[in-house]
Formats: sequence, C-alpha cells, structure tokens
Amino acid sequence: MEELDLLKKAWQKDTYPNEQISEVEIYKMLHTKSSSIVKWILIISIIEVLFWTVINVNCNIDDIMKEQHAENTIVYIKALTIFNYVVILWFIYNFYKNYIKISTTSSTKQLMQDILKTRKTVHYYVWYNLTMIVLSLIAGFVIAFVFNPKMVLLKDKIAHESNYHTLLITLGILTLTCVIIVGLFWLFYRLLYGILLRKLNANYKELKKIDL
Amino acid sequence: MSDNLEQLFVKQLKDNQNIIHKICRLYTNDEDAHKDLFQEITIQLWKAFPKFRGESKFSTWAYRVALNTAITLYRKSTRSIATTSYEGQKHFLPQDEYNFEEEEQIKLMYQAVHQLNDIEKALVFLYLEDKDYTEISETLGISEVNARVKMNRIKGKLKKILNP
Repeated sequence: MEELDLLKKAWQKDTYPNEQISEVEIYKMLHTKSSSIVKWILIISIIEVLFWTVINVNCNIDDIMKEQHAENTIVYIKALTIFNYVVILWFIYNFYKNYIKISTTSSTKQLMQDILKTRKTVHYYVWYNLTMIVLSLIAGFVIAFVFNPKMVLLKDKIAHESNYHTLLITLGILTLTCVIIVGLFWLFYRLLYGILLRKLNANYKELKKIDL
Repeated sequence: MSDNLEQLFVKQLKDNQNIIHKICRLYTNDEDAHKDLFQEITIQLWKAFPKFRGESKFSTWAYRVALNTAITLYRKSTRSIATTSYEGQKHFLPQDEYNFEEEEQIKLMYQAVHQLNDIEKALVFLYLEDKDYTEISETLGISEVNARVKMNRIKGKLKKILNP
C-alpha cells in the first residue's frame, strides 16, 4: 500500500519538536499518581472485600438463634462460620496471587487476561456473599418458623386455611426480598464495572477475534 | 528506589521519548489528552523499570509497556475520531523535503489510521515502526500467521476509508 509506506517513511523521521519534554518535567511526572484501571480495580476490590468481610463477620448469628429459641442449631452455625473464614482467606489469597501477576511487560493479551482474572476473583467473592445472605435469609425464616413461639399464630393460620393464601403471601414476601437484594447488587455491579471495564472488554474481544 | 536509578531512568526516557509521543499521538485527540497519556506511560515505565535488566534496548522494552498502557491501563477512552484541527497543525515532511501532494497524502493516511480501533492501531504502530511479525505477535499475544492476516485486513480497511 503506497500511502501507508509514505506514512511509514515520514513516521520514522518524525522528531516531535513541539512535544519534547525536559528531564525536570519527567522528574515531576514520576511523583504524580497513576490513574490506571489496575489501580482503580485494586482500590475497589479492597473496599469490596473489606465491606463483605465486615458484614459477614459482624452478623452475629448466635444471638439471633438464641432469640429464636433455636439453641440446638448453634453447633451447625459454628461449623458454617469456620467454613466461611476458610473461604474468605482462600479468596483473599487468590486475589493477591492474581493481582501480583499483572505486569505491563506481559503481552497485551496476557495483561488483559490477568486483569480480568483478578476482577473475576472479587466477582466470585461478591456472589459467594450474596448467596450466603440469601441462604441465611431462607434458613433464618425456616428456623424462625419452626422454633420461634411468636410464629405459632402464623402457623395456625396456614394450617387452618384451605386456599394457602397466607402461605403464598409469606413465600411471596420472602422471594421478593431476595430478588430485590440480589437485583440491587447486580445493577450496582453492572454499572460500576460496565463503566470501568468497557474499554478493556471491547479490546479483549477484538484481540481474541484475531486468533479465531 | 535510589536516586541513581531515577537519574538513569529519566535520562533514558528523555532520549527515547519520541516512541511515547508516537503512541500518544495515535491514541489521543488533543494536546491535553496527549500529555495525560504521556504521564501515565511514564509512571508505568518507572514502575516496571526495576525489572528492566538491559538485556534488550530501552526502546524495545518501552514499546510494550507504553502500548499496554495506552490500550489497557489508561482509563479514558482512547477510541478516537480523526480531528483535523489537531492533525492539521502537524507537518509530516521536513521543510527541505516538502512536497504538497505527498504531505496531503500522508495527512489523509494518518487520519485514516486514527479511525481504526485500539487493537488495529497497535498493529499499525508496530508496522510503522518496522517491527517484524514475530515481534508484533509476541507484543500483542497473538499468533504470527494471524497477525499477518489481520495486517492485510487493516490495509484493506484503510484503503476503503481513503476511497469510500
């Protein structure tokens, strides 16, 4: 292509006289802060992991169970808590492992893959926590239903109704609560990462297409 | 990091800054964005510098970090529409070789390249820098054959932009 070769010749001779930057300016640049997406992903990820860990750890289920008069479930809850800590540590370890792999000296494709992998680790962590919340909500309701004396009235009503109205309404409210919680988080994440990773995802797709 | 390392880095970067200007020009639309991207590339190069062992030339090493920053790390959208106001100020041919027709052809070609997407620009950039397909494929992480095929497609696309 003739025009491209003309550009190539001119391109290689180009000296950029108007853009030249002095050593002093470079020194200054070294002491400014980066605004790369890797940095943003790190900051957001740390906030996410902290947020979910605090929520997870602070949920004192023992007290709730005592309140529900369901003391005999506490041993299961304890096992679940230990399992939960193991999962949290596993996630943090994996996040760290993936994060330090991100390097600008990798090939473009590798770099993109490493960033997306790091992101995914946090993503799974968030979904794990959301699942736990929904499961706790359901388990909490079932436990309350079985053990809490205050529920007797509701139980009675359901038992004596032939058209299951109360049961359906109760289940409906429970489902709606779960859907709203998950839906709000899903929307929030779509927006946050949609904005942050739009360019990366588009370029990654483009790069993958070349090797198809 | 020691002052010595910093001094060495600043000097190397100053001597090789045109590589970065080339990338900034390709991936940005105005002077502010150019400076902004230059700064981010400088920071990323400095961060990676302790790992640079001098096995390859500084410039060869810098290509990868600079391109990766422009395509992947830089937050602002680098997808650009050719802006004549910015490119209009630029003269590609030095005064002693000035030829109006040639200069116009180069300008149009440059504007066409500006309309490509980020990945296509990277391929064109490496091509204009006279890199062979082995290096192009290693830098981008694609196979050599496919790099060649893609480059031919890009040439076709450029032709279409120039002669719609």
